[in-house]
Amino acid sequence: MISLSDFNHEHSRGSIAVSVQDLGLTYTTSIEKKPTLKARLKSLGRGKKHTRTVKALNAITLDVHYGTVLGIIGSNGAGKSSLMRVISGIVPPTKGRVEVYGSVSTLLALGVGFNPAMTGRENVYLGGLAAGMSQSEIDEKFEAIADFSELGEAIDAPMRTYSSGMFARLAFSVAAIVEPDILIVDEALSTGDAKFKEKSLNRMKELRTADRALILVSHALATIEDLCNEVIWLNQGQLMARGKPADVIAEYQKFMNVRKSASSDEDV
Amino acid sequence: MSQPVVVYEPFKAGLPPMREYLRQLRHRRGFISEFARSELREQNFGSIFGQLWLVLNPLLLSGVYFLLIYVIGGTSDATRFGHLTSTLFLFYLIANSLTGGVKAITSGQRLILNTSFPRIMLPLSAVVVAIFRFIPTLVVALVIHAILGLPFSWQMLWAFPILLIAIVMSLGMAILISCVNVYFRDISSMLPYLTRSLLYLSPILFEAKKISSSIKQYEIVNPIFYLLDSWSRVMVHAEAPTAKGMLHATIFAFTIFIIGTYFFLSRERDFAVRL
Ligand SMILES: Nc1ncnc2c1ncn2[C@@H]1O[C@H](COP(=O)(O)OP(=O)(O)OP(=O)(O)O)[C@@H](O)[C@H]1O
Ligand SMILES: [Mg+2]
Repeated sequence: MISLSDFNHEHSRGSIAVSVQDLGLTYTTSIEKKPTLKARLKSLGRGKKHTRTVKALNAITLDVHYGTVLGIIGSNGAGKSSLMRVISGIVPPTKGRVEVYGSVSTLLALGVGFNPAMTGRENVYLGGLAAGMSQSEIDEKFEAIADFSELGEAIDAPMRTYSSGMFARLAFSVAAIVEPDILIVDEALSTGDAKFKEKSLNRMKELRTADRALILVSHALATIEDLCNEVIWLNQGQLMARGKPADVIAEYQKFMNVRKSASSDEDV
Repeated sequence: MSQPVVVYEPFKAGLPPMREYLRQLRHRRGFISEFARSELREQNFGSIFGQLWLVLNPLLLSGVYFLLIYVIGGTSDATRFGHLTSTLFLFYLIANSLTGGVKAITSGQRLILNTSFPRIMLPLSAVVVAIFRFIPTLVVALVIHAILGLPFSWQMLWAFPILLIAIVMSLGMAILISCVNVYFRDISSMLPYLTRSLLYLSPILFEAKKISSSIKQYEIVNPIFYLLDSWSRVMVHAEAPTAKGMLHATIFAFTIFIIGTYFFLSRERDFAVRL
C-alpha cells in the first residue's frame, strides 16, 4: 500500500521503478453472477463446485526504469489491466513478487466517481484522500484539476449526471495533475472528444520526464508508437515480446493478422 | 540501489503487517471525515430541515411505539416513554451502523478496484456517519427526559462508558457485516428482518425487569440486550448499571469487534477479485 504523498523521492533516469518477478495471477470467482447465501445453501448437498478460476497472468518477469514510457499491448482479456492492478497493489499476486520504488497512481485509480451520488468535487477529494494525499495537497491541486478537465460548473453536479466522456475527463485530469512517480494509464482516454484527446496526449508528453515512469495500456497502436520508447505485448497472460515499439507492434500485428488500418489507430 | 518502497507478494491468509496498516489508516483519517461529511450532506443533514428530520424521525417512531404499547398494554406512563425514546435512539446507532456497513464494501467497488488503501476505512466511515446521526437524538432524549420530569443524578455519567461500548459494538458489527456481504450478497436484503428482530428482542418496547425469568435466560445470547438495559438504567432511572450488565455488554462488544476485525483484515486483500 503506497500513499501518494509518502514518497517524493528524486529518481534518476535509469534507476529501477518497478520490478516484476515471475508473476502469476489467478482470479477465483463464483459461477453464479453474485455469490449469495441462498445459492451456497442450495449447492451444499450436491457438492457442486461453486467457483471457477481464471489464469490471468503467468510467469511475467519485467523491469520498468525511470525515464521510460512503457506501452502495453495485447488483445482483450490478455491480462493488461490485471498486470496494472498488481503493480498498483490493488490485487495481490498469486505467485511471484512485485517491487515498486516510488508512488504509483493509476488513471481512474484515484477512485474518481466512486460514489455517483456525490459531486465531481467531492469525488476528487475522496479519491485523493483514499489514495493517501493530504487535504492541503488536494486543495492546492484542485483548481488545476478542475481547469484541466474543462468541466466548468458541472464539477459541482452529482457524477451520475455526467456523460462517460465527462467522467473520463475528470479521471484523466486527476491522474495527470497529481504527478506521481509512476503513472499508469489504462485506456481511459478512449471516450474523450478529439480536442480533449489531443490535450491529454500533450499532457502525457509533458509528463514524460526522466524522473518518472509512465505505463500506458492502449489498443491505439499509433499512439503507443508515438509516445512510448518500449513496448511489451501480452497474450493470454504470457509475455510474448518486449522491445522497440515498431518491432513489437509489427510482431503483434502479424500475429493478430490485422493490417495497419484506420480502425486500429483511431483511438488513444 | 535503493530499497524497494513496497513489495507485493502472494496473499496469505492472516493479518497484514499491523504497524504499517495502522500507519496507513492514520494517514488517511481525512478520508473518513470527508466521507462522513459528504454522506451527511447527501442525506440533507446540511439543511435545517434535514437535521430536524433526523430528530423527528426517531421521535415519531417512538410515538408510534408508545401508542402501540398503550393500546396493547392498556397503561403507560412517563417513565415508559422516556425508556422507549432513549433506548430506541441508542438502538438506531447500532442499526444505522449495520445498514451503513453492509454495503460499505460492495458499493465502494470503484474505489476498491482502482486504489490501494486500507479497506477497513469504508465500514469505519459508515459508523462515523451513524454516530453523527446519533448525537442530535441524544440531545433530544435529554430534553424529553427533563420535560417528563425524570430524575437526574451523577450516576448518569455512566453513559460515557456505555456509549463507548456501544461504539465498539457498532464498529464490530459494521466491519463484520461489510465483509460477510462480499461473500453472501443476499445478507443486505435480509438485514431489515435482522434489525427488526433485534429490535423486538431487545429491552426497548419493554423493560428488562418486566420480562419473565424463563425468557430472560435466553436473552444472554442477544449481544445488545444488556447494553440497552444498562443504558436505560442510567439514562432513564439515573441509577448505576449492574455489574453483570456491563460485563455482558463489554464482552460481547469486544468479541464482535475482534472477530469482525480479524475476519475483515485477513480477507480484505481478497476483496478486489470478488467484487
Ligand atoms: N475481477 C475479475 N474476476 C475474474 N476474472 C477476471 C477479473 N478481471 C479480469 N478477469 C479475467 O482475467 C483475464 C484478463 O483480464 P484483463 O482485464 O487483465 O484483460 P485486459 O488485457 O485488460 O483486456 P482489455 O483489453 O479488454 O482491457 C480475462 O480472462 C478476464 O476474464
Ligand atoms: Mg483492460
